[in-house]
Amino acid sequence: MTVFSIWPDDVVWRRVSPRLYWLTIFVRAVWLLVLGIAAAIGWYVFEEPLAPIVAGALAGLTLIRLVFVLRGIRSWGYAERADDLLVRHGLLFRRLSVVPYGRMQFVDVTAGPLERLFGLATVQLHTAAAASDARIPGLPPEEAARLRDRLAALGEARAAGL
Amino acid sequence: MSEPTPPPSGAQPPPPAGAQSPPPAGAPVPPPAGAQPRPAATQPAPTPPAPGPAGAETEPRRRLHPLSPLLRGLRYLLLAIAAISWQGFRSLGPERWAMAVAAAAVLALVASLVSYLVTGYHVVGRELRVYEGLFFRRTRAIPVERLQSVELVQPVLARLFGLAELRLEVVGGAQTEAPLAYLTREEATALRRRLLDLAAAGRAAAPAVPSGVTAPGPADQAVRPAPAGAPVGAAAPAADVAGPSERLVHIVNNRDLFISQLLRPQWWLLPVAVAVPIIDALMDGQLGFFGIASTVTGVIGAISAPVRVLLGDWRFTLAQAADGLRIRRGLLETRSSTVPEGRIQSVLVEWPLLWRAYGWVRANMHVAGVRVEQQQQGRSSLLPVGTVDVAQEVVATALPGVVLRDIVIRPVPDRAKWFAPLRRRVLGYQLGPAAFASRDGLLTRRLMLVPYGRIQSVRIRQGPLQRRLRLATVYVDVAGGGQPGVAHHLDVAEARALALALAEYSRAARRSTAPATSPSAGPVDGAPESGPPASGAAESGTAATGASEPATREPATPEPGVSAPHASGPGAPGPDADGGSGRPEAPAGS
Repeated sequence: MTVFSIWPDDVVWRRVSPRLYWLTIFVRAVWLLVLGIAAAIGWYVFEEPLAPIVAGALAGLTLIRLVFVLRGIRSWGYAERADDLLVRHGLLFRRLSVVPYGRMQFVDVTAGPLERLFGLATVQLHTAAAASDARIPGLPPEEAARLRDRLAALGEARAAGL
Repeated sequence: MSEPTPPPSGAQPPPPAGAQSPPPAGAPVPPPAGAQPRPAATQPAPTPPAPGPAGAETEPRRRLHPLSPLLRGLRYLLLAIAAISWQGFRSLGPERWAMAVAAAAVLALVASLVSYLVTGYHVVGRELRVYEGLFFRRTRAIPVERLQSVELVQPVLARLFGLAELRLEVVGGAQTEAPLAYLTREEATALRRRLLDLAAAGRAAAPAVPSGVTAPGPADQAVRPAPAGAPVGAAAPAADVAGPSERLVHIVNNRDLFISQLLRPQWWLLPVAVAVPIIDALMDGQLGFFGIASTVTGVIGAISAPVRVLLGDWRFTLAQAADGLRIRRGLLETRSSTVPEGRIQSVLVEWPLLWRAYGWVRANMHVAGVRVEQQQQGRSSLLPVGTVDVAQEVVATALPGVVLRDIVIRPVPDRAKWFAPLRRRVLGYQLGPAAFASRDGLLTRRLMLVPYGRIQSVRIRQGPLQRRLRLATVYVDVAGGGQPGVAHHLDVAEARALALALAEYSRAARRSTAPATSPSAGPVDGAPESGPPASGAAESGTAATGASEPATREPATPEPGVSAPHASGPGAPGPDADGGSGRPEAPAGS
């Protein structure tokens, strides 16, 4: 059998909350609104004929990017295996991180104001290597807390420091 | 030197009270850092387990050597003079210039004197405390468990007075933590031994391992007797260089070092650096101050790297002591650094193009937290130059269980040619018995070795083109800002299996690190069997030159035995890649 994906398929991938879609859309919508206001000011106040064109182009780019970002959200996933955490992400540029629990130095749970508005939080694992990249956005707070506690417990049980 | 420091430390809260433990121990360290970690340990006869200082109560704080303000002041003074002269000599006139210099001298001296008076250190329990600062006072407590490496540096001037600076490296510091400059050589050596002994005593349950053979579990069948055995005999004649308890591994031949540094590409810039100003001068018809200055600058810029290596790695000596790997080097400024066992995060072996005629390689290591001045991609030298045989021995010492010659690189699929038409033949990896090896580099061939026990995390990345070709790249991260080991352009299935296997091996290696001392005692027994690498101490490169060429090739050429990698199941790249010794540590440890 030929394998096409770098992401293992024999594990249970947990997905991020669908509310992350709305958060993403919301952020982009606010941006478009700002853009529109700026264009309107440029047009009516400064009578700059280029303003709506530039704004339109930017809006178009934003919308195109939004499509990719939205499709990318679906690719976020994480799997808790017995001894390590797998995190996957990416559509064009795909990535998979494997972080053994024993290597974990600390876990961050962050939730910005917008994230809180949508009831989301981000969990990030840190190891002694700066390059380790295990960030999981868009988790419901309960799930983030559960994950954090579980990771902390597992990390303690399997700790190995450097 | 151990007087209770009355005059300056009257200002200091800590423990001028001298040697009584109970009262100062409770109150001694107002700054938070000191007291927190193990307050319990400081109080009652702190070190019951520690072997050395039996009666180590809160010992009195010690001063640096009285000459150190002078020496350190001199350093600043030279800087100040340079700064003044740069702009000022002409505009100030000789008299006022002399006055300015004198003022700078007085300032430098006073500043150094003050810093001398307020600086002190002592060992409390299992940590070293360093006190410094006059206005912003700082007490830094460094637990010995956290030591990544200890370096004893003797700059030229300090060397004249028999003084040395002790540098302790821990992870996470922005620069060298707690440089103690200067102590007498004996003091510095004693302190180093004491700290390392403390660290070794605390490490696991194996304090008595004599020669540091605590290989991570898998080492048992991988460490060959030959490389390790030979130098045991060689250590005897060189006992004046190496301490009594050390096993000399290798002394780099200075002639080789010289030639090898001449063979670095930086020298090609030299003609340019010289020619440009001269041509410029010819065009102008005169050679002005500016022309000379730019020539000098250009020459220095062109050759500084090789010259620095030459000065810094002169008489490079690698030995294995009970407390770790010991490296001595330096022509003018001598350094002796000790890296406790298990602190080496990765080793990079390089075959520069110009060195291949001699069959030379060089090896660098990455130790978390160490910032090397003479920077080679942020790594400290492990072997500045040597034949492959020597490198094999050195690498086996640094990473027990890794046998350089046994590394057979597993090639990447043919379709990687779309990314790396030439490099494709070089790229590849091996899941060795004790370490992950990956190879890259067309002109300078680089073999990166990451021991399984040091892997922090594993990543796979895949770009859109790679996805089309069903390729992916695997990164193996190590601690402390080291470069990751990278295996480029693997088949997707293989990359996936590799990443999971690496995580698994890393876990297994870690689990087995602690109790795995006994089986690996093998190498020492091999002493009589002094194979070809016996030349370690005295060889001059000629003997092994012939043999080394195939060795450089050996990892370079895809072995016939491995050339059917795609057929092998994705689940097991290891075992068939290196002839059955692939996955020993998983079961061995637990």
